[in-house]
Amino acid sequence: MTTANPDLPLNHRPGHIKHDGHNLTGFIIFLCSESIIFLAFFSGFALLKITAPEWLPEGVEGLETRLPLINTVVLVSSSFVAYFAERYLHKENLWGFRALWLLTMAMGTYFVYGQYVEWSHLPFALDSGVFGGTFYLLTGFHGLHVITGILLMALMLFRSFRPNNYAKGEMGVTAVSLFWHFVDVIWIILYILIYVWQRTT
Amino acid sequence: MTSTNYDPRVLKALHPVPGAPDNWKRFFTFNTDAKVIGIQYIALALFFLLVGGLLAMVMRGELITPPADLVDPTVYNGLYTMHGTVMLFLFLFPILNGFNNLLIPTMIGAPDMAFPKVNAAAFWLVPVFGVVLMASFFVPGGPASSGWWSYPPVSIQNPLGHFINGQFLWILAVALSGVSSIMGAINFVTTIIRMRAPGMGFFRMPVFVWTAWAAQTLQLVGLPALTGGAIMLLFDLSFGTSFFRPEGGGDPVLYQHFFWFYSHPAVYVMVLPVFGIFSELITVYSRKPLFGYKFVALASFVITFLGLIVWVHHMFYSGTPQWMRNIFIVTTMLIAVPTGVKVFAWLGTLWGGKIRLTTPMLFVLGGLVNFILGGITGIMLGTAPVDIHVGNTYFVVAHFHYVIFNTIGFGIFAGIYHWFPKFTGRMYYEGLGKVHFLLTFIGATLNWLPLHWAGLYGMPRRVASYDPEFAIWNVIASIGAFMVGVAAIPFILNIVSSWARGAKAPPNPWNAIGLEWLLPSPPPAENFEDDVPTVISGPYGYGLGQPLVEDEEYYVRRALEA
Amino acid sequence: MTSTAPKPSGGLPVRLLVVVLVAVVLDALASLQIARASLGWLPVPASTAAPYVDGLFQVEVGIGAFIFLGCTGFILWAVIFNRAEKYDESDGLPIEGNPKLEITWTLIPFVLVMVLAYQAIHVSETLAALGPKEKYDLESGSSPTTVERPDVRQSYGPIQVLARQWNWEFVYPNGVRSSELHLPIDQRANFQLSSEDVIHGFYVPAFRLKQDIIPGSVISYSITPTREGRYRLRDSHFSGAYFSQNQTDVVVQSADAFQAWLDQAARSPLVPGLSQATGLYADRLAKGDKGWATVKPAPPPMVNDPGTPDAPHEA
Repeated sequence: MTTANPDLPLNHRPGHIKHDGHNLTGFIIFLCSESIIFLAFFSGFALLKITAPEWLPEGVEGLETRLPLINTVVLVSSSFVAYFAERYLHKENLWGFRALWLLTMAMGTYFVYGQYVEWSHLPFALDSGVFGGTFYLLTGFHGLHVITGILLMALMLFRSFRPNNYAKGEMGVTAVSLFWHFVDVIWIILYILIYVWQRTT
Repeated sequence: MTSTNYDPRVLKALHPVPGAPDNWKRFFTFNTDAKVIGIQYIALALFFLLVGGLLAMVMRGELITPPADLVDPTVYNGLYTMHGTVMLFLFLFPILNGFNNLLIPTMIGAPDMAFPKVNAAAFWLVPVFGVVLMASFFVPGGPASSGWWSYPPVSIQNPLGHFINGQFLWILAVALSGVSSIMGAINFVTTIIRMRAPGMGFFRMPVFVWTAWAAQTLQLVGLPALTGGAIMLLFDLSFGTSFFRPEGGGDPVLYQHFFWFYSHPAVYVMVLPVFGIFSELITVYSRKPLFGYKFVALASFVITFLGLIVWVHHMFYSGTPQWMRNIFIVTTMLIAVPTGVKVFAWLGTLWGGKIRLTTPMLFVLGGLVNFILGGITGIMLGTAPVDIHVGNTYFVVAHFHYVIFNTIGFGIFAGIYHWFPKFTGRMYYEGLGKVHFLLTFIGATLNWLPLHWAGLYGMPRRVASYDPEFAIWNVIASIGAFMVGVAAIPFILNIVSSWARGAKAPPNPWNAIGLEWLLPSPPPAENFEDDVPTVISGPYGYGLGQPLVEDEEYYVRRALEA
Repeated sequence: MTSTAPKPSGGLPVRLLVVVLVAVVLDALASLQIARASLGWLPVPASTAAPYVDGLFQVEVGIGAFIFLGCTGFILWAVIFNRAEKYDESDGLPIEGNPKLEITWTLIPFVLVMVLAYQAIHVSETLAALGPKEKYDLESGSSPTTVERPDVRQSYGPIQVLARQWNWEFVYPNGVRSSELHLPIDQRANFQLSSEDVIHGFYVPAFRLKQDIIPGSVISYSITPTREGRYRLRDSHFSGAYFSQNQTDVVVQSADAFQAWLDQAARSPLVPGLSQATGLYADRLAKGDKGWATVKPAPPPMVNDPGTPDAPHEA
């Protein structure tokens, strides 16, 4: 709709600029920015660990690594499950997509549950010095992202039941999948920093 | 051409023109039009400029005499903390986002931002955290009072022990500000990357778009670090953690790293768009192409990159080891190079030009002179031995006010005057504008030039009282400050009365070259709508005899007849 | 749009070159004068660091003045001689750039700033004022003295510098405690800086010395005073309500006078030391505790010499 005089001679082709279709670009930019918050926490953790005169609180020898390792395997595998779910969607196999998507959500939920179980058995709290603070902040912040990922996945699952939901493309699923992989990579780094790199002194 | 009645077609058009006077109610709604949001940002920011300015007037009232006799020292500390916080987070960042909203789509020919709803949400967060911050004045114990830096351990002392205290609200407000800024940054960057007019490659974009892009990239990379530090500070303050508390094994200096990793780039976020404004205005008011456009455009991103690796120069005497200081001396000095490229390009643009000393041009030239001084004192501060003597003194205060107010503030005023006709459809009163400039330039110089000497002689910053030998500098500074305060009056009068009853503005009052000047004043809701021009030459083609777009006469006539 | 710009002439006229040369020479002369004068913009130099810092400062002022006067002069010239006539809407010279010039004004500043950076690093390394920073663990009961690492190059010290909200305390090697910092002239004195609460700043403008004091760490710092006199020591890092009043004096004395003071102080009984904040806080409480939140000031330290805070200081 233009307020221009329709009688003016047109010596050019009117150009058009797309209003939409930019969501994935925006989301990727958002993820890059979000990764820096984790980078900040990681570097803070590393610096405090290296320079603290007393790192571990009284009576704490270290962290158990077996249960967290199981959680890690589950979470990382769920990324592969999500990938295959996307493949099914691309081939327009909606029920295949929904099944694997739900499985991803279940594995994510198991991870969160496993984190909760670990937390409730730990002998130190959030205010147990610099170790307690960094541990709960990192794992808690990450856990929040996992929960957010599960909720977003639920939304995508719900939407997949809408007729013609994918007529304009599968951007929502692609974005949430990307978010899930991001959460995964963050966890791998976190696991190495917190559980693998434990002070021997 | 001086009719003050709006064309009835405009008032009844399907997409009512954003700036039309009887549509003032739209500025108080959740409106997704970037031009409405732009004006919302600017208007709200100017309100908070007055709030921050009022705080400054009380501060300078206290500092006009050596003893702390006007307000209690704790009150002074709260005032200067809130002055800095309000000026940065409620005036500067919002007003620059206002400029981004108005200028980015119109300068690249886009109909709106990439994510209009996110755009509106990002704006409405600003009054929300504005209220949160203002509320902190009224909680027991008063507002945050440890400087806009909020360094621990002072900031986490919480003397009264309340859970909701001024510092808590400060952290909340700054976190919300970060969310709003990141939402904006994602929007601006996506729009620039994906929504340019046909024919507008990156090296045909106006410099303002380049600098906005460079600045918003810094927001995206830097803000999350501040958010991380702020979350840790909040936890230390409220939940007993020890990230920065030495008693629990934490390190107060760690906070400084998080804080400055963002807050140094933050100053480039603020100055880059103003460099863009300078580039835009010098070309118009000299009627000359920008000297060395490609160098100037690329220098913006060199500043972005270098801006991310200089932050420790704020920590030269914080206990950082010598090797760290040496690295950051080198990187800090390097950033003078792309900045110098821009300054010399502007001087080159003035050469052989046909200069018009309109109000915007006066603010640009005044801002440029001030920036050269502020930049030079910045270089001095980058050399650690000098910084060790003058750091945390009034020399630093003078330096950064020279850049923040005498350069960035001037650039913002210049931009407001220059684009006022375009986005409101009214001409401003030139005489009042010149009065505003004169009062502001003289006042700002009197305010901050003398304070360099106060700092050199050893007067610390953030003090409510000082030794008598510093009195003379402070008296002159306070007089200058009151002048700057008074200068707000012609400015506000001009903006308000011009918008209400100024002469109707033509599409291109300055005879400038740019896509925004091919639109009516004010532009319709979706700018070029379905007829976006194809760009066929670079920007600032003054004297080069080429049209900016294909079939330019069509667009000129279309804008005149709208 | 047809071009209405005047055509640029080929080559620069001789008259212009002469004007530029004269301007550059005048600029250089003025900058030299300003650089010379800038020494007077600093407090009296009282340490070995001062000549180095002041020298660097003078160079920077000189270069800065040259750039500022040159650029501002150019802007004024352009504004006077390149003004558009009142109704002249034509364009200026259609010059888009000059790559050679642009490269020149990128390279010359690059070289200049690198030279300045090298100078700054050289001065820093020469002064070598900053020593190691050692963290100590508050919970396990260790204190600053258990982790301090004095300077191997010191002639005198270490002097414990204890910063609090809001007073200073200096503890000498022989156990003397003082509210004012007495130092023997021409001897490299080492300080062990520590804070009991928040970050403070150890700042003596006359010495060109500043070091933040970080709680939980001890920072070793050394300086050599070179001029007798009384100089201000100010808390330079914001430390709360009465931060402005957290100031005391440094007294630089000849070796004999210093020793005499030390002996006299060792014989003096302990009395409450200088703490302006104590009195101010008491006034505030007397007036009904109005004002915004503050922690209570630390009690004044018990010292042998509370000093003479009303004595005039030089810088």
